[in-house]
Amino acid sequence: MRYRTVIDMHFVNRMQAYGWPLLVMVIALVIVLSIGAIVGTQGAEVRAEMYEGMTWSGAIFSLLGPLIGYGFVSMGQYFPLALGLGVTRREFAAGQSLLFLGNALAYALLVTLGKTVEAATGGFGLGIRFFDVFYTGTGASWQTFVQTFLLIVAVLFLGAAITSAFLRFGQPILWISGSLLGLLGVAIVAGIVLVDGFGGRLLELLTLSWGSWMGVIAAVGLVAAGTWVLLVRRTQVR
Amino acid sequence: MNAIEARDLSKHYRDVAAIDEVSISLEENRVHGLLGRNGAGKTTLMKLLTAQIFASSGSMQVLGEDPVENAGVLSRTCFIQESQKYPDGFRPRDVLRIAQKLYPAWDQGLAADLVADFRLPEKRAIRKLSRGQLSAVGIIIGLASRAPLTFFDEPYLGLDAVARRLFFDRLLADYAEHPRTIVLSTHHIDEVSNLLEHVVLLDQGRVMLDEEADALQGAAIEVSGRLAEVEEFTARSEVLHEARIGALATATILTDGETTAAAARAAGLDVAPVSLQNYIVHRTTAAAPAAAR
Repeated sequence: MRYRTVIDMHFVNRMQAYGWPLLVMVIALVIVLSIGAIVGTQGAEVRAEMYEGMTWSGAIFSLLGPLIGYGFVSMGQYFPLALGLGVTRREFAAGQSLLFLGNALAYALLVTLGKTVEAATGGFGLGIRFFDVFYTGTGASWQTFVQTFLLIVAVLFLGAAITSAFLRFGQPILWISGSLLGLLGVAIVAGIVLVDGFGGRLLELLTLSWGSWMGVIAAVGLVAAGTWVLLVRRTQVR
Repeated sequence: MNAIEARDLSKHYRDVAAIDEVSISLEENRVHGLLGRNGAGKTTLMKLLTAQIFASSGSMQVLGEDPVENAGVLSRTCFIQESQKYPDGFRPRDVLRIAQKLYPAWDQGLAADLVADFRLPEKRAIRKLSRGQLSAVGIIIGLASRAPLTFFDEPYLGLDAVARRLFFDRLLADYAEHPRTIVLSTHHIDEVSNLLEHVVLLDQGRVMLDEEADALQGAAIEVSGRLAEVEEFTARSEVLHEARIGALATATILTDGETTAAAARAAGLDVAPVSLQNYIVHRTTAAAPAAAR
């Protein structure tokens, strides 16, 4: 049952862990609503264009952005304290996994609720998009829930896995991973430029169906979680 | 029963042997001193014994079992390290609340008393605490946890003399009331010498000394007098340290019981006891040139 204490650790400073991200999200939403109110005065056509253009608005990352760092922080700051207080790695992994899943569930529900209200009220009556955007899914509400949940889970486990790899292997792992990603980028650009049909096939890949993309995100999350669980059991406190 | 049993325990970092085939047995319900210079391997050994890091080779038993991933052992082991990291925004009261949940024998009354005694600002962010206040957080956890095995690694860095005395007094009082195994690593050897019952001295990752503290208190004497007389007398002894001022000399030598001191007095030399701290200093200093060769 000591895994519960790992969860408690994250609830120690609720304002920092949950209060501020929600407050920042509210501020971002107010700003977007203000923009909607201002732009709305320019007529229905402009408002419709804004509604369409905001499909790609990244304002929701005011909420999702801090979650990207949450996985890093869990291993970088909470892991050393947990082990310092006698928690085993297995207990830490169990508590942390439950926390990741709980966070993803809570935030996915929040985004889904926001998206449903936003869609039902025509962008809160102002023709804006905040929750109902490309990154959270512009389909049905249940799709937003699934997409947001999977994205958050994948990002949390990925962050934890990267920090664990850093703690386990040191800086070289970051340099090697960064170099490999860079090489992959160069290879893709080279493929587009040099290989006939490569660009077309890449576009096909990128425009997979929603279900297929969810499969990809779920696979990334599973691999990240598996890698993290493997690494954390051999991670040492520096 | 031994609280700690380590056999040929080693921890290597590439070509550096932080701990090199260490074999020790620490009896339960005693206060053990883990001494040595900076980089001797004290913290590494404690981290191994509390499963913070993994051994390269060798074996260990803590409270009768392997401590690695062993919640039964680790919940009865408290490791207070000077380099403990805390998450951003944590306050002392947060850490104490978490610790209370993790240590079954936690004494909240004692923790509250110690917070008051050390004048610890419980609600201030840890990153805003002074070095001494940070040490007080560790000391309070170490004492209030009442863990059957408690490691204190340089527990009072930055503490003033009053707070250090407070730590010794509270440790001694609580230890007398609730006997447990305490492993204390410190550079302030003289301040804890009366507290220690057994001493392990590490040097360059290896065990240099593993003795009862009482035996070490009389293990060496300091003889002083005229240079020629001191040299003549110490020619038959193992000299740990020698200092000359003009025609006078002082030497620290290993003794063979009371007979060495008596012989020195008979030879017309002044004899003085050597403190545990000076003995440790001389032992490790004497070993340094040999190791360098």
